Amino acid sequence: MKGISRRRFLAASLAGGAATTLTLSKKAFATGTFEGYPEGMGVLVDLTRCVGCRSCEAACNKEQNLPAPAVPFDDKSVFDQTGHGGQKRRPDENAYTVVNRYEPKGAGGPVYRKVQCNHCNEPACLTSCFVSAYSKTKEGAVVYNSKVCVGCRNCMIACPFQVPGYSYSSAFDPVIKKCIFCYDTRLKNGKPPACVESCPQGVMTFGHRKELIKIGHERIKARPDRYIDHVYGETEVGGTGWMYLSSVPFDQVGFDTTMGKEPIISNVKDFLGTVPMVLAIWPALFTGFHLLATGKKEHHDEDQSHAAEEEAEK
Amino acid sequence: MKRYLTKHEARKVDSLYRDDKGKEKWSLVDKLLLGLSPRDYLAQAVRNPFNWILAMIFAVGLPLIAGRFIFGLSFVTHSSNDYPWGLFLAFGLFTMVPLSASGFMLGTTVEIFGRHDFEPIERLALLNGLLGYFFAVVYLLVDLGQPWRLPYPMVVSFGTAAVLFLVAWHVATYLSVQVAEVSVSFFEWMNWPKAKRFIRKMAIGLTVSGIILSTLHQGALGALFTYAPGKVHPLWYSASFQWIHFFCSSIPAGLCMVIAVSTVVKKTMAWRCDRNFLDNLDKLTIGLAKGASLALVTYLAIKVIGIAHDNEWAYLVTGWGLWFMVEIFLGVILPIGLFAYAIRHNKPGLVRFTAFLTIFGIVLNRINTALIAFNWKLYQEIPHWREVIICITLFAVYIVTYRFILYRLPILYSWKAEPALAEELAEEKVHYPGGAPAVEMYRTMDN
Amino acid sequence: MFTTLKMLSGGIFLAIFSLAVAHQAGAQEMPDVIEIDSLSHLYEGVTFDHSMHVDLAENCSVCHHQNAGVPVQDQNCAGCHAGTTKSHIVSCGQCHPVEPFSAEYLRQKEADVKRYHRDKPGLKAAYHQNCMGCHDDMDGPTGCQDCHARTEAGDKLFHAGDFAPQPGVAQSGHH
Repeated sequence: MKGISRRRFLAASLAGGAATTLTLSKKAFATGTFEGYPEGMGVLVDLTRCVGCRSCEAACNKEQNLPAPAVPFDDKSVFDQTGHGGQKRRPDENAYTVVNRYEPKGAGGPVYRKVQCNHCNEPACLTSCFVSAYSKTKEGAVVYNSKVCVGCRNCMIACPFQVPGYSYSSAFDPVIKKCIFCYDTRLKNGKPPACVESCPQGVMTFGHRKELIKIGHERIKARPDRYIDHVYGETEVGGTGWMYLSSVPFDQVGFDTTMGKEPIISNVKDFLGTVPMVLAIWPALFTGFHLLATGKKEHHDEDQSHAAEEEAEK
Repeated sequence: MKRYLTKHEARKVDSLYRDDKGKEKWSLVDKLLLGLSPRDYLAQAVRNPFNWILAMIFAVGLPLIAGRFIFGLSFVTHSSNDYPWGLFLAFGLFTMVPLSASGFMLGTTVEIFGRHDFEPIERLALLNGLLGYFFAVVYLLVDLGQPWRLPYPMVVSFGTAAVLFLVAWHVATYLSVQVAEVSVSFFEWMNWPKAKRFIRKMAIGLTVSGIILSTLHQGALGALFTYAPGKVHPLWYSASFQWIHFFCSSIPAGLCMVIAVSTVVKKTMAWRCDRNFLDNLDKLTIGLAKGASLALVTYLAIKVIGIAHDNEWAYLVTGWGLWFMVEIFLGVILPIGLFAYAIRHNKPGLVRFTAFLTIFGIVLNRINTALIAFNWKLYQEIPHWREVIICITLFAVYIVTYRFILYRLPILYSWKAEPALAEELAEEKVHYPGGAPAVEMYRTMDN
Repeated sequence: MFTTLKMLSGGIFLAIFSLAVAHQAGAQEMPDVIEIDSLSHLYEGVTFDHSMHVDLAENCSVCHHQNAGVPVQDQNCAGCHAGTTKSHIVSCGQCHPVEPFSAEYLRQKEADVKRYHRDKPGLKAAYHQNCMGCHDDMDGPTGCQDCHARTEAGDKLFHAGDFAPQPGVAQSGHH
């Protein structure tokens, strides 16, 4: 009786392990090789043009039905606001995009930077979500399905740009809040997002991501004195849909320049690959240990009861 | 408790029958009230000063927990978007889970490696594992934005590439395994021998499943931090080995937790423990310490390898480096030295102290990784005071549940054999490998 | 009598000459004030003092950069446009599209593979980029409402003016 259960278990676990290994890998893409869908759109943000008027914040607020702000959108005093530890403003449940002001040395004036979801090619939020709440649409938007979200907030941990906000203030339906590239109302129909349309200075250029990379490099080539020779987001963490041009080094205007080119999933995939290995190896390994350690004894209790019965019979 | 019982001559419930003749069985209510009348039971509870402390904690903490569910997370946390994970997860999940690794450790020791001399402490370790994981899930339910959606990754929508998916499935499966393993004691207590036999047959299978599941999810909790490579300080982060570090440190965590709990049990509820448990405890404590110190040495080695691999030596001479050295010294190096001395000179008391020190080191490591050294480039986040109180309250509930089960189920003692057979066995002086006389071992009767 | 004839012919010649020059300078008359209001929705139209800017600018191509009678200065443009001297297009809106990012416009742009100018700003951006450069350097008006006042729709969007949030309204979230 006991032998069968052990054998049965071994067989089942091997079969289960094999089944898991076979079903796990479907795509042939290696991580870091996805350069976006062919129709993928993007936005090139040219920081040399931004004057900090915050029209984009106002337009986003209206388009996404966000709550009324604490101060009017033409109020420049928000640039002096600091949060915990002197942090500048960041996107949260009430504002999917914010503009911050920086005063880098030698820049000859303030530099403004618009922050929003960068709609990465291989988003960390998407790969970390255990209920597949995020998806990357073919237009390039990284959108979110609040109907399956459990509220684990792993996506907020994973996002290297600290973008997703959480509606902690809601007691019964707290969900992630972030820029969705105006997918539902505009991008799906081929229209540019509200912020892009609202900008008076043409800071944002909307188009196919591949085209925007070319435009970005052409601008740098045409005015090398005006731009740093780098399109931020072209390769960072696997490439992002929203990319930036700047007149000053990117780390001076709040960008993280230590990220590397690999998407976040590259850090995790080695562990994920180990999982089916453990599932396949551990059963035989530990059953083997058991056999070696316990020698002829198949089952301790069986022996014990034998001994007890023998003793009791005497 | 012991004094009280002896004074009022109340019988301990440790067998099927009230009397020696095998005529009158204990009822379920008797078993629940430890053989006392309801009034006596309440009286002894009120007399116990520890219960007053618990009452105070619950008076403050339980309304706060209710508040969390009525008003949302903004009521009990700082609603931080930069620090989405707070103390509920840093302590409740990331710390409770390695401390509950005792289940698979002792299960493996006894069932797989055949070290039946560890049997007296095996059930305590299994219970520790079960309760730890169960309460880790409770902490998780308090932390999740929409806790009623907890089953979603099981049945509604699968994100199979996510490490958390693995954690969710494994913790759910492993909880079932642990419930099965602890149910053996429960079935004895309820006098359901068929159910007990059914589970015992699967012992090897359950134990091997436990090892597989534990390896993977202990490691997976570490792998969760590889989603945020830039956010965890390099000394606490290893791109290649994070999961190995977490898995390896869970081994001394589990073993030392068994030593710690058995110490508390010995000091506060010795009346509930039988001779088999108490007589073997010191020897088993030394044995557990040997395992723990081997694992600690290994952990130290792989931590150093991790630093060398990523060339992080320069960080050791910074402020964070100093804090890292404090954690490694108090939690790893000092315990290695103390364990070595205590094992060599057979000092169970020193082993016990060192076990508590090791547990402190594990707690510190997990809270460092998840909260203190997290977002090290930003500001330091201090959890909301309500969050701290809720953590303490839930831990108090955990202790109460632990105590409830230990007072009743045959974990610290063996369920006595039927009186008739017990006499026979006593006459024949049959003994078992642990040294306990067969009359104390009820388990033999049903296999 | 000869002197009178000379003067008369000289005068007629001068008149014809200046008319020709005036014709050369611009087919249409140079307006003194222009109402720029094709995009007005959030802001009122701009009452633009053209004659003042004419006096301030060295030549027309400072603003009408598409070459209004002066050889191209910018090296990036001279590569192709060095030979040209005159363009019939004067108004910004004749080249810069109102909706530079509409699906149709993008499709058109991408279908036209021989087209060089792929980074042309839209009309609103062209207005602002062209004006703000000089305004910054020469202490001209740089605030949004310095050139065009906000309309009621604009106030509503910006939550300003009559639509400003009441002081003391608590922001949800962090505490």
